[in-house]
Amino acid sequence: MSKKVWALLALFVLVGGILAACGGQTVVEVTRVITETEVVEGEPEVVEVTRVVEGEAETVEVTRVVEVEVEAPNEEEANRKGGWLDTIVIVQEPDANSAVARLEAGDLDVYADDIGGEAAFQAIESDAIQTRTQYGLFDELTFNIATCQDETKLNPFQSQTIRQAMNYIMDRSYVAQELYNGLAVPKYTTIAEASADRARFAKEIRELEAQWGYDMEKGREIITTEMEAMGATLEGGVWTYNGEPITIINLIRNEDTRLLIGGYISTQLEDLGFNVERVERTSAELSPIWNAGDPTLCEWHLYTGAWSQTAIDRESTFSFEQYYTNRVLPWPLWALYAPPAELDEASQKIFNGDFASIEEREELFRTALPLTMEYATRNWITSRTTVVPFRNEVSITTDLAGGISGSSLWSKTVRFADEVGGAMTIGLPSVFTEPWNPFGGSNWVFDQMIIRGIGEQGIYSDPNTGLGILGRVERAELTVREGYPMAASSDWVTLSFEPEVTVPDDAWAGWDAENQVFLTAAEVYTETMTALQKNTVYYPADLYTASYWHDGSPLSVADFIMVMITAFDLGDPASANFDEALVPTRDSFLSAFRGVRIASVDPLVIETWTDAGSLDAENAITTWWPGTAYDYSDAAWHNMAIMLRGDANGGFAFTAEKATANELERANLISGPSLAVLAGELISATEEAYIPYAPTLGEYVTAEEATARYNNLAEFARRYGHYYISTGPYFLSGVFPVEGQAVLSHFAQHPDLASRYAAFAAPAFPVIEIDGPARVTIGEEAAFDIFVDSPDGPYPVDDISAVNYLVFDATGALVAEGQAEAAEDGVWQAVLGTDVTGGLAEGSNRLDVVVVSNLVAIPGLSSYEFVTAP
Amino acid sequence: MATTDVYAGDFNINAEVDVESIEASARKARIQSTKRLLRYTFLKLLALLFTVAVGVYITIFVANMGGEVDKMRMATIRESVALAATADPVFKTLSSEQRIDYINQRIELEAERYGLNRPFILRSFEYLRDGMTLNLGFSQQLVSDSGSRLVRNILLERLPSTLILFGTANLILFFIALFAGLSLSRRYGSFADKAVLALAPTSAAPAWFYGLFLILIFAAVLKVLPFGGMVSAPPPDNPLDYALSLGRHMILPVSAWLISSIFLTAYNWRTFFLIYSSEDYVEMAKAKGLSDRMIERRYILRPTLPNIITSFALLLITLWTGAIIFETVFNWPGIGQLYFRAIGAFDTPVIVANVVLYAYLLAITVFLLDFIYALVDPRVRVGDGSRK
Repeated sequence: MSKKVWALLALFVLVGGILAACGGQTVVEVTRVITETEVVEGEPEVVEVTRVVEGEAETVEVTRVVEVEVEAPNEEEANRKGGWLDTIVIVQEPDANSAVARLEAGDLDVYADDIGGEAAFQAIESDAIQTRTQYGLFDELTFNIATCQDETKLNPFQSQTIRQAMNYIMDRSYVAQELYNGLAVPKYTTIAEASADRARFAKEIRELEAQWGYDMEKGREIITTEMEAMGATLEGGVWTYNGEPITIINLIRNEDTRLLIGGYISTQLEDLGFNVERVERTSAELSPIWNAGDPTLCEWHLYTGAWSQTAIDRESTFSFEQYYTNRVLPWPLWALYAPPAELDEASQKIFNGDFASIEEREELFRTALPLTMEYATRNWITSRTTVVPFRNEVSITTDLAGGISGSSLWSKTVRFADEVGGAMTIGLPSVFTEPWNPFGGSNWVFDQMIIRGIGEQGIYSDPNTGLGILGRVERAELTVREGYPMAASSDWVTLSFEPEVTVPDDAWAGWDAENQVFLTAAEVYTETMTALQKNTVYYPADLYTASYWHDGSPLSVADFIMVMITAFDLGDPASANFDEALVPTRDSFLSAFRGVRIASVDPLVIETWTDAGSLDAENAITTWWPGTAYDYSDAAWHNMAIMLRGDANGGFAFTAEKATANELERANLISGPSLAVLAGELISATEEAYIPYAPTLGEYVTAEEATARYNNLAEFARRYGHYYISTGPYFLSGVFPVEGQAVLSHFAQHPDLASRYAAFAAPAFPVIEIDGPARVTIGEEAAFDIFVDSPDGPYPVDDISAVNYLVFDATGALVAEGQAEAAEDGVWQAVLGTDVTGGLAEGSNRLDVVVVSNLVAIPGLSSYEFVTAP
Repeated sequence: MATTDVYAGDFNINAEVDVESIEASARKARIQSTKRLLRYTFLKLLALLFTVAVGVYITIFVANMGGEVDKMRMATIRESVALAATADPVFKTLSSEQRIDYINQRIELEAERYGLNRPFILRSFEYLRDGMTLNLGFSQQLVSDSGSRLVRNILLERLPSTLILFGTANLILFFIALFAGLSLSRRYGSFADKAVLALAPTSAAPAWFYGLFLILIFAAVLKVLPFGGMVSAPPPDNPLDYALSLGRHMILPVSAWLISSIFLTAYNWRTFFLIYSSEDYVEMAKAKGLSDRMIERRYILRPTLPNIITSFALLLITLWTGAIIFETVFNWPGIGQLYFRAIGAFDTPVIVANVVLYAYLLAITVFLLDFIYALVDPRVRVGDGSRK
């Protein structure tokens, strides 16, 4: 901008100022108006800025010309299909410290494992690296609740009262802040951090935290009283029973921070007068003692356990049943679990979905949660908050519970910010850990990450809430039996209820493995079969013309039907591919499955009747998508066909069990001896124009189609050296098992725009700030402003489910609770009425605020201290 | 029968010589020598085989903690099966009894797969039999990098990368140290000798320790060499580029290996050669004015050849074992890491295979060395039981 223009502008401002001053009135408003903005390619755009200065006497309009840098429109960015990147190279890097050093040096762009400890701090402090928090690993203290067979011995933890009191002697904040150096948060209840119910019951959890928080003296008092009641005596500061010191055997896992936690708990118990024997060993060494041993032998008393979660839990189905009853885990200790009747009933109802409404379910939770703290088969300690590191210029979706490796959308969003294309290097602790095949292949999270990266799904899981979101499916309809508390949150799902959901006679409900044909419901069921729900998935009209397998074969209905057939066939003794290890899987599938029908081939519409339900309609849909309906990896019908031939001909076996029993290799689509078998079978299949399960699949596939597909696969295998194909935005273009590297290349034929899932690139955690009076007069109303922000600015009111507040008095007792009112986006207000402040004694109080977002499962928490005085 | 009547001095050179008898004696001696050799060979092989068998069985017993591992594995199976079941969405649709049945069924299948339904003692002898007959079979848990369960493939896949790294590093180390030691032994008390003596304690730190520093300097700070791994990412398609990339990735590990051992090894050789360098016949050779090279070659190296060969042969077979931490630091896909994983997973077939192959290599080397000694050192006779 020229000096002249600036001078002119200054002159106008000066004149305006003088005139305003002469008018005796100050400027009341200054408005900056950009009169026009237009995006032009790469060139700075000249825009006019009109500054309006209003005064009482007159208005002076100042116009100046400024240059605004505008970004050139990027057609490539707008039209890019498939993934953003050209190439993703996945390399093996087992050491977290080394991974962080490589990230800093630019040798890696992403490290797709969650890290803790020193490496995590190094990543957090690095200027070149950004981190994202991952929840999903919980520490707890498992109690041996048995009464010892040897009556001369006393197990203190057979007492429920002592187990409860252990809550008071464990300072969870100390564990989180000191032992984990802040990379963990205190955990009191069984509800997982990354779960829908964590937000739903945030208020109740906060109450329990206040009730069961650290209070060593209170714990000591309760334990002393109870120990004496059980016949123990404190002699010389040491608890004794029958004249012998009581020694608590603490089984401490030594592979991670639990070594420190176990030590801390031991020290606390020693402070109470117990002798503690610290048994510090690995998982494998301790498992036979605590997990398989007879607890009544009292060979142990405490075990530093941990449980993991790999996906956001929407229903907390197992939260009570698994940890407090004997109905899920068949382990000796669990056999002793006999929870109070109320807890037992509530737990079972929650597990079975035996409730008529969400409100009834919430009531069950409110009943069960406090009882778990009282029954206390275990005390939860911390929820670890590990971090996932990646370089600043990288944008990628992480799952709250699964991080990057557990995210379904990572490859759909990963990119260098503001760049299209390029090659990215991602580090993983292990690459190609086990063979890849759809029925008994690798279940390693890092193999699955690559599998998800090159695959796609009919319905994905929202990485921040766990709710189903659209993938390849276009829409869905659900008809549910009345009384089942299912709800739909998304507009692509239509949910309705009917008194009875009947399986039609022509639906496929069984499989004749000998004749290789489906059995209809009329043939399978002796009387009319009903189901909990029927779900109908609608695939887009262009499914068969827009979606391609990585070998170039267009998707067809046969790919879906192959999924249905194999769900029955491989666990059937009459099948040529029978695998005993797949029988439990098949039985499990059949226990809920009631029927399926192809309502329309083109466009593809599939109806499924099942007894499997969910609170969320989005999560209760059976898509039959060939990318994910198999347990371990994706498959098209034609590469499945050669796999099935290889299995039937004794070339390899899908599962480890069958492979071991028959001294065979495990089928592997990407490398190893299986490739030769697959190559041979492909040649035979091509020559024969082989159609697997011909009596059924033959109705959907012609010999010409079969040959074309086999030719495509052969060409793909020739180019890339393997037989693994899927339909995702990248394909597996390089397999280097010994070097520990995988190369994924951009799949240009993918139908989705690369930007489709951009909204999921980062979680919108609510950030809370509370402002209000530091001193509140007892009996007078007090208002507190609650500012709620997201990374993009004020949190929209529509995206917030609730802002709850809790008031605790100086003794830590909950004295009031309520919901804040929305003032505007990002601003809420909690008003404590005169009745509330009137009930407070003089002293220090605490206002806790819990913000529950619709966009992210983990609620925002904040506290504000205030003093009450007359 | 031929006779002679010639006397020379006190000897009657014309005395009748029984040539046939001499030939017969010689034949007899040869036969006896062959018998002795065969007997020696047989006994030696038997002893070595017995030693290998004992060693391998001890390994099997220790690796399985005398059968305790069965309990651990069973408990681990119970844990993993139950937890995997709870992750299955359909699991919750089963009744309480069905759930327990489902889990127990899975546990049984897994237990059967690992052979836990049969006593350990029985399986331990099966492991021994398979190992001794080199019937390596299938692993229990581990798979090769390319996904094969055959123990042979698991080992063979890692062998080239192990041999190329440790072979290169150790051969360079061996010859540099050998000739440096020889040279130093001839320059006793020189500055170089004192320097090596002073630097020898640096070998107290393992190679991986130096590796960390080298990575920090050349990869993290200077960014001129890779952090680790075998080749660049993605691996080059062209074999020449691949080889160059491999060479570049070997610079740091080989350097670390050399730095950690070169001074001590050179010092060891120097001390060893020093004994021979001060022998009278060496002094005599020196006095006769023979060149240093000739003295070293004929008067020092030759008599020490059996020791050098032994050292070299043992070096060659130790290449097979790799180095666990060293490979981990450099993220090198070697056999050391594999062995470590096998121990962690209690994968007995892989552990046994590794041990039995090493034991056989060692036994064969020890066996062959006896013959090699006889070839390179005329003072040594095989099977004579004495050194003349």
